[in-house]
Amino acid sequence: MEALALIQAYTGVGIGLIIGLGAAGACIGIGIMCASFLEGAARQPEMIPALQGKVFLLLGLIDASFIIGVGLAMMFAFANPLLSVVAK
Amino acid sequence: MSGQQNTAAGMSLYSNMLRWQVMATTAVTLIAYAVGGLPAALSALMGGVSVVIGAWFATRIAEKGREKTDPTAVLLNLLKAEAVKIVIIAIILFVVFKLYQALVPFALIAGLAAAALFSGAALAKSQVDV
Repeated sequence: MEALALIQAYTGVGIGLIIGLGAAGACIGIGIMCASFLEGAARQPEMIPALQGKVFLLLGLIDASFIIGVGLAMMFAFANPLLSVVAK
Repeated sequence: MSGQQNTAAGMSLYSNMLRWQVMATTAVTLIAYAVGGLPAALSALMGGVSVVIGAWFATRIAEKGREKTDPTAVLLNLLKAEAVKIVIIAIILFVVFKLYQALVPFALIAGLAAAALFSGAALAKSQVDV
């Protein structure tokens, strides 16, 4: 029983770290990219439509790690594989 | 390059992205079916489909802002599209984890990761020179 509670507690901490650090990393990456986009748009405003699609794709790529993290966090929240060790 | 050409190239970029995501999801689903059977294949399919649906909604929002010329408005529109995408993916994943009893979590994560990462492959097919 105590082991179960410990696993659940540490899993909760892990989920928080996965989502928190993933969000922080994604935000830093998006911030850097958006700053570069604004700088490029200020230098060459005629390139805005061309850059727009690439910015959208790169936003998706930067967020991919965060989305995968969310998926992993949900796996640990709803179908925690570590709990099956205690159940045996 | 004229504005109309840029718009057409941008839209082909979006459709390329969705095409790559669908192909990645299909590939992972087939591999999961070969390795883990039907439940694994369905799990991988749901993981990939959640990303494809989110990306489709995000694409619709991003396309609305293609005519904008103010960089800040363009950026805000793209960030709004990305936020909608993440919320939709999170909701679909939550529903799948709650409702699908025979879920194979690792297959779902594999489908999700493949679809999310392969969207960047559309950059290689980009016809817009920057």
